[in-house]
Amino acid sequence: MMTTARTIAFTLNGQQVSTMIEPHRNLVELLQRFDLFGSRESCGQGLCGCCTVLVDDVAVSGCLYFAVWVDGKSVTTVEHLDADGTLSPVQQAFIEAGAFQCGYCTPGFILMSHQLLKEHPNPSDDDIRHYLSGNLCRCGAYPEIIEAVKLAAKR
Amino acid sequence: MIPFDMVEPASLQEAVSLLDPQEPTIRPVAGGTALMLMMKSGVFQPTRLVCLHRIEPEHARITLVADGALRIGAMATLRQVEKDADVAARLPVLKRAMRTLSNVRVRNVARVGGALAHGDPHMDLPPVLAALGARVAIAGPKQSREMPLEDLYAGYYETVLEKNELITAVMVPALDGRKAAYMKVTSRTADDWPSLGVAVSFAMKNGTISDPVVVVSAATAKVTRMKTAEAALNNAAPDDASLRRAGDAAAEEAEVLSDAHGSAPYKRELLRVYLRRAVRQALDGSAE
Amino acid sequence: MTEAGRELPRLEARAKVTGRAEYTHNLRLPGMLYGKVFRSTVPHGRLRRIDTAAARALDGVHRVITGEDIRRLIPEPYYGPAFHDQPILALDKVRHVGEPVAVALAADPHVAERAVQLIAAEYEELPAVYDEVAAMRPDIVVHDMLKPAGTFADLKHLKGRTGTNVALDYHLRRGDPDEAFKSAAHVFEHTFKTQQCLHVPFEPFVAMAEPADNALVIHTSNQTPSFVRTEIARLLGWPENRVRVKVPYLGGGFGAKVYVKLEALVAALALIVRRPVKVALTMEEQFYVITKHPTTFRIKSGVDTDGRIVARACEVFWNGGAYADIGPRVTQKSGFTSPGPYDIDNVRIDSYELYTNRTPAGALRGFGIPQLVWAYESHTDLIARELDVDPVAFRRRNILRDGRPQASGTAMKDAAVAEVLETLAARMGWNDNQPFDHGGGAIRRGRGIAIGFKASISPTTSVAIVNVSADGSAVLYTSTVDMGQGSDTAYAQIVAEVLAVKTEAVRIVHPDTDVTPYDMGTLGSRSLFHMGNAVRLAAEDALAKLRALAAEAGLPEGTNYPPAEIFKKRFGMQAGNVIGAASFMPTYKSPDPQTGLSDNVTPFWMIGGAGAEVAVDTETGAVRVEKLVNAADCGRPINPAVARTQLSGAATMQLGFTLSEVMLLDGGQVTNASLADYKIPGIRDIPPMQSELVAAEQHSGPFGAKGLGESGTFGVSPAIANAIHDAVGVRITELPITAEAVFRALRQQAGRPLEDA
Repeated sequence: MMTTARTIAFTLNGQQVSTMIEPHRNLVELLQRFDLFGSRESCGQGLCGCCTVLVDDVAVSGCLYFAVWVDGKSVTTVEHLDADGTLSPVQQAFIEAGAFQCGYCTPGFILMSHQLLKEHPNPSDDDIRHYLSGNLCRCGAYPEIIEAVKLAAKR
Repeated sequence: MIPFDMVEPASLQEAVSLLDPQEPTIRPVAGGTALMLMMKSGVFQPTRLVCLHRIEPEHARITLVADGALRIGAMATLRQVEKDADVAARLPVLKRAMRTLSNVRVRNVARVGGALAHGDPHMDLPPVLAALGARVAIAGPKQSREMPLEDLYAGYYETVLEKNELITAVMVPALDGRKAAYMKVTSRTADDWPSLGVAVSFAMKNGTISDPVVVVSAATAKVTRMKTAEAALNNAAPDDASLRRAGDAAAEEAEVLSDAHGSAPYKRELLRVYLRRAVRQALDGSAE
Repeated sequence: MTEAGRELPRLEARAKVTGRAEYTHNLRLPGMLYGKVFRSTVPHGRLRRIDTAAARALDGVHRVITGEDIRRLIPEPYYGPAFHDQPILALDKVRHVGEPVAVALAADPHVAERAVQLIAAEYEELPAVYDEVAAMRPDIVVHDMLKPAGTFADLKHLKGRTGTNVALDYHLRRGDPDEAFKSAAHVFEHTFKTQQCLHVPFEPFVAMAEPADNALVIHTSNQTPSFVRTEIARLLGWPENRVRVKVPYLGGGFGAKVYVKLEALVAALALIVRRPVKVALTMEEQFYVITKHPTTFRIKSGVDTDGRIVARACEVFWNGGAYADIGPRVTQKSGFTSPGPYDIDNVRIDSYELYTNRTPAGALRGFGIPQLVWAYESHTDLIARELDVDPVAFRRRNILRDGRPQASGTAMKDAAVAEVLETLAARMGWNDNQPFDHGGGAIRRGRGIAIGFKASISPTTSVAIVNVSADGSAVLYTSTVDMGQGSDTAYAQIVAEVLAVKTEAVRIVHPDTDVTPYDMGTLGSRSLFHMGNAVRLAAEDALAKLRALAAEAGLPEGTNYPPAEIFKKRFGMQAGNVIGAASFMPTYKSPDPQTGLSDNVTPFWMIGGAGAEVAVDTETGAVRVEKLVNAADCGRPINPAVARTQLSGAATMQLGFTLSEVMLLDGGQVTNASLADYKIPGIRDIPPMQSELVAAEQHSGPFGAKGLGESGTFGVSPAIANAIHDAVGVRITELPITAEAVFRALRQQAGRPLEDA
């Protein structure tokens, strides 16, 4: 089956970019073309959250999002959070709380925590679990992750 | 994933015209979260996807209509429904159900129309909306039609939609004091597809249940109304004995399937228990 | 001590929170091809024909490779750490569903994926065996002839054996169990089973091979780079120095990524097509690579009138799947601990590793121990209950105290069994004289505890190099893989402690077999002890050399000059360096082939346990864990914060194996090969947890420390089953403990068994 690649233009981590891409490729693949590997396809089903990306400031599963859909939109990845050289409060809190082990799921948890804290600056335990229920950590750092989110909320 | 074409029509009518009643490899895509799973597993290999993102924005609106009903455009995201002030005020059961539906990221992207048209009996939105007496509006190449939501489902992953029809909106009548609840029962981990979904709504008249609607999902091949359970509840006081009778009736009536979430006999027992719990929750708002 | 014992964040923390940490997953090379694997759809069959024509004809396909193509490059293309039984791609026979049969190569992975769909294979199907006990009979034989690798003495007797599925039988005889059973006041006998489950690292298996000048570079997400080098060199008939294996961070391992997994495949593919080849599996494909052994454990105990266990017989059947992988070591290394941490004079152990037509089983966080603890701690609880003795009191009476010989004959030294038990009892409020609230109505509550122990893998070697630069900063070279356990940080702390610098001044070079020295592997909680000792010795060697340099420079002995000054004084400028190196290999004595006994079977013991409080919904069987207490002996932790996270993380993983994780099979086909249907714990499944490292010291460990990666798994499953029994009076003997299993047991107990599906 032949398909046509199309040109898409979007904002990637604050910069205007454009590229040719075919409709069957997902957002994670698109980001890899820009050497961004913080969003990772793991479960491939939107359940583990390793592929989390912000599109127009809203978290999506990059593995379940067609790349062509970001045409005209703004895409933010974990690599952008310390663009000014300073870690975001969430990133800093994840370090202080020791909220990861292997680190593979960490960018996803951090980006989801960003959406959570934007919408609920003082989240309850239930809010934290609700927003992070779509992210899985096989190393089981959940208690530390909850602590990290609370720590970030205080700042 | 196998290459395919994607077209992005600018209107609903154009979208309908790009679909083909005879061609199963051409399908519409809204949020794509469910469709992409089927494509990744190879269950569905499209030649063309008709993307609905650029159709008229009105199809993504949630509006309050004159009689207090809500009209939810099919292109509204699940997250929009969850966050909508009218939904929160008028249909709290729907808002509550949204919080347990998949996860925030998926709800950010998935659309109401897709969630209804997919036909997967494990989805949460169809049973809740069916219990609330929702009707779906459907657009086709020649004419539009409307039907009660539960009539949309013909079987496991099967709907009565033609391949060139699109859901445009779902209309949910005002509760008008009716009580409602949805119980999502997961048997493996907290975040899972349900083993069983039970949605109920009913009015209370002089201490008795009136005009009940009981809908079962997940354990059955399709979202199904439990008529004998409804009959058992109708005009009954919500006491333990009546609720047990209704639970037994539902367990008897439902065509429950065995799968990785549990055996059919077990899920029938769950239905017996959770029908009772659903009615109680509708009455007192408890999350037992 | 200032650096050892310090709670600092992992050295790589910033790289991980910014998404910039290096994983094999990220790697791309010019001209590389992606390989996608065509897999067997039958569990057992003779391979008659593979049709690759349509796949080869697909636009963009570079080549399609089968087992015969590989055989032309490698005449004996079979690999494995214990048996050379696993073909790189199937030859002649397939032995499990999902076994790799062919690979399509393309520059675009989507094209390779499409090509795989166009490959067809024909098999002559053979009857299959899935159950470990059934596999004891020789009616269905998975391998026509056994091919032990020759590395292990206790496998030699199996060489060339036909008509059997037994890939190792381990036997231990201590005292006179038959006589002891006869004279015991009470005899108890139970059978417990565990399910097939798997590691699910979130970075699925990924490896890439890159042909180089007269050499081959393999980049891989693997826990044993040194082994990979040796094994690939053996397969190719090359000297080791022509194979270079590089490993960055791992996105989880948990024992899945030990020994050769994809590495032989990518090596062969790259050499055949003379281009870099990357194979990255999907989550679904992980279900066809390596799993945790399902087991059947028949356990029998004799108890005297004082409530002392006088005899125990253990018969353990390990379901190893289609290829042995490291299963035979699980059978032996874990086998000798199967009576549990109890002081029993008369013991009989028979432990069998069996081939079946399932996905292979190997090492998974505990190396078989959680399966054993599941049985012996459920059994021990049942005995206490039957004798009407408090389960903690019963254990107090029977546990192995420090210095007492374990069943193997090796003494329990630096093994805080009692401390772990008492910590659990205290944290669970077991010693309070308050009656436990068992609840009422539909929800009933209960509590339970369980303890377990493990021997370390032995004999094994680790080598470390410490390079001190002229400014005093240090670089450590080891082949330990940091897959999240925090070894980089712990080693840096050890080096810093010895050299009296800050941990942050130590850099770690990740495994690269051209650069970093040998290590047996990052597995079995061995790294902190084995490599940790090597690192300490290497740092001490560097320190001694620094002192010698100071003497050469004429600096007075005994004064504490900073290294930078020593270098400057000696070389007249910031120049030179000092290299400290050391090997560490603890002593070991093989078990006697007749009795299975040895008085030096492990260099250290790991102790772990758990206490659980549960609430059971008697109307549905649903179990909610309301409290989970974890305790372990890891000696003196090098980094207590990281260690506690390890402990609770391991417990969380075991919680999944206890309540929800199971690979479902239908005719040998896995029917739930995805995270949608293979359910691992999420954030809403985690009970309130307390994780405690008991005060202890491993005198032979670096600064008193030893490994901890697995200890948190030991007690979780039986603690929960024991708590359920306490709550509702039913005993679950098979994992996982699903709501339906509990509900069925409740209905059975009530005399109204629920009909079958």
